Amino acid sequence: MDNDIGLIAHLMRRAGFGANREQIGVHADGGYRDTVEALLSPGEEDRMGDHLIRRFHPELSGMMGPNAPGQNWLYRMATTSAPLREKMALFWHGIFATGYAKVIHGKALSDQTRMLRTFGMGSFKDLLIQLSKDPAMIIWLDNQDNHKGAINENFGRELLELFTMGVGNYTERDIKECARAFTGWTIANRDYMELRSQRDSDWPYGRIAWHFEYHPEDHDDGEKEFLGQRGKFNGEDIIHIICQQEATARFISRHLYSFFVSDEPPVPEWRYTSPANPEAIDQLTRVYFDSNYDISAMLRVLFNAKYFQSQDSWYSKVKSPVELVAGVLRLTGEFNRPRREIIDRYFQASYMGQFLNNPPSVEGWHQGTDWLDTGTLVERVNFASQQIGDSNKPGIREMIERISSTPDNVATPENLIRVCLEEMGVISVEEDTMKVLMDFASQGNNHPLNAKSDNRQKISEVLQMVASTKEFQRS
Amino acid sequence: MKTTKTTGLLEYRLTMGMTVMEGQGFYYPVDTTIAADGRMYVISRSRDEVARGVRVTMCTVDGEYFGNFGGFGDEDGQFVWPCCSAIDSLGRFYLTDEELHRIVVFDRSGKFLYRWGEHGSADGELDTPSGIAFDSHDDIYVADTYNNRVQKFTNNGRFLMSFSGPGEDTMSLPWGLTIDSYDNLYVADWGNDSIRKFSSDGIELACFGTAGKNDGEFCRPSSVAVDSDGYIYVADWGNERVQVLNSEGVFVEKLRGEATISSWAQNFLNINVEEASARNKADLNLQIEYVEDTPHEESSHIEKYFWSPTSVALDKNGLLYVTETNRHRIQVYARRDR
Repeated sequence: MDNDIGLIAHLMRRAGFGANREQIGVHADGGYRDTVEALLSPGEEDRMGDHLIRRFHPELSGMMGPNAPGQNWLYRMATTSAPLREKMALFWHGIFATGYAKVIHGKALSDQTRMLRTFGMGSFKDLLIQLSKDPAMIIWLDNQDNHKGAINENFGRELLELFTMGVGNYTERDIKECARAFTGWTIANRDYMELRSQRDSDWPYGRIAWHFEYHPEDHDDGEKEFLGQRGKFNGEDIIHIICQQEATARFISRHLYSFFVSDEPPVPEWRYTSPANPEAIDQLTRVYFDSNYDISAMLRVLFNAKYFQSQDSWYSKVKSPVELVAGVLRLTGEFNRPRREIIDRYFQASYMGQFLNNPPSVEGWHQGTDWLDTGTLVERVNFASQQIGDSNKPGIREMIERISSTPDNVATPENLIRVCLEEMGVISVEEDTMKVLMDFASQGNNHPLNAKSDNRQKISEVLQMVASTKEFQRS
Repeated sequence: MKTTKTTGLLEYRLTMGMTVMEGQGFYYPVDTTIAADGRMYVISRSRDEVARGVRVTMCTVDGEYFGNFGGFGDEDGQFVWPCCSAIDSLGRFYLTDEELHRIVVFDRSGKFLYRWGEHGSADGELDTPSGIAFDSHDDIYVADTYNNRVQKFTNNGRFLMSFSGPGEDTMSLPWGLTIDSYDNLYVADWGNDSIRKFSSDGIELACFGTAGKNDGEFCRPSSVAVDSDGYIYVADWGNERVQVLNSEGVFVEKLRGEATISSWAQNFLNINVEEASARNKADLNLQIEYVEDTPHEESSHIEKYFWSPTSVALDKNGLLYVTETNRHRIQVYARRDR
């Protein structure tokens, strides 16, 4: 089982953005457990470098508008050798949802993504401290307006409700005490930066990056009572207490399970609905405490668990638009250099319902089948099939060459479908999907299979059909 | 013009320009070329999704504004990814387009004249042309970026020769070019973090710098200019600074940037009183501990520093113009001994 390429393909879809047959084969040589470890500790990252991106896309360097952070991130997702790191940044972005609509500062959002990337697989406590100091988050939840003697509860409330514990595990007083502890946590040059943000001002010389600043004179240093503990708590103390809570451990465990294994209901329903797999949540909760809140330790257990590896889990999740787009781009290899097409690819994900760095609300995006409606489904299928159907793209060209180089691959429709499914990421399909593919591959259309002639066009068409299947749209 | 430095080869003079998507100002400017009469041509690359920001602005160092020409598109007189420019002996303005792989030519007033260039890798074909420079015969050198070479053409696009460096020591994604008074060519060899000097027949004469951030080292240099005394000015783009070398390639000086409010920016602040007031109370030179300790990060926080100093260019009086893409402005420096 350790070398089961189907299982490793499942892992790469969930813990990354998918992989082609060749890449999966490389991982299979090392085995499943080693692949998990390689995802958790990817070493030096190979990706399209910042300098190259910035040379050809100045806005991805200066970041004045709303789209640069997402385009930059998409480049990274499409080219990185450390896909789990990006997947985890995306995971946290869905929970700590922060959007351009209010922040109106591209670099601040990109800096937040960098923070999620840097801290997203380490200690949850460290991550929360960084999140609380993150300038985009401070503006997003108004902590610059949270003053000694005049608190603004926004950040304190969401920290408890949406980021760590969930409703029902704290009181209104805890929220107020939490807010008091975060007074004085603001950004430098607050008035000027806030005014420019409100006016969407690039003047006179582009955006100035934001950074955290602590104002001790504005901090309420008085005694507080928070979740049953008393003391002159500052923000770090509050986070320490939050991390000690069973509710926090279960909240994060359930989020990880929902993102990587099987969709749970939306967070507001968690209070009333038990987890689908309570044993899994119990197990992840134990690891959370045993590892001193280490996210990677939780992921290691999750990826090696039977509930993750079970074939019942395969293709049970709908890829989010960004997962779908990034996965397609990794297959096509289109971005072997900076190209203007990154704009279109980035917007495609927003047409499908996921506008990176601009979630619909503080609650992030609804996942699962909520990604699908008649409009977005058409967008998804059209996008995937158009991209995969473009045999000028280097990744597709290579796939077609590999397939066509072995005559047996194109000897029968069955063989052709089998090898196309393999090339596209060792995809296994249900009977009804297979029947559609068989019907298509068997038809003559304009390009019947012919062992004696060039079958490249037919191979391309079948690859395109695979991209249209429900299995390809799922992970 | 005011002077702030008292030592070194160069002194700061002024800043010009400001961020403007359309009209009087720049929007991600990537290159500046100064005609013999002092008219500046500033290429705005814009954001990829903002077509109206793409243009060439004509102005003077004193802030006189003559208007814009060109624009986004693939028709005559349009461009998509404008990159670098040069002016021939007749005053015609040449611009490279990295996306459409061609050279677009205008008269001094910005009227479209003609264009040439085909995408490819054969002799005379181009893949992402960037730097451009004329020699004394009005032949033109083009940095053929993704073909990792420089090509030489007549000014109407007839191929003359190409070269890339000795043996296997070839250029990597070259960017800015310049010609000295002896018709030697200098190439900002971006991917190799060095400046290469070639004779007019493509023989490499020298190579300056290695990768790094110490004096005389470079990180992705984007542009180079050489004055009449042989001083070499390098846009050390990845290090967010300008370095000066002597004619032997020995380090002389480095600049980090000291921008002030330009006349155009001052007009904006005079009108927008509330923003000016908030700005006056802000400390824009905060020294902090950066999450990511890179010059790029530092420049994003400290407004007076160069941020993406993409182009260095000299006018006939020896003034040095540093075009900063991310700050949408040009910092001007002068030789102290002149």
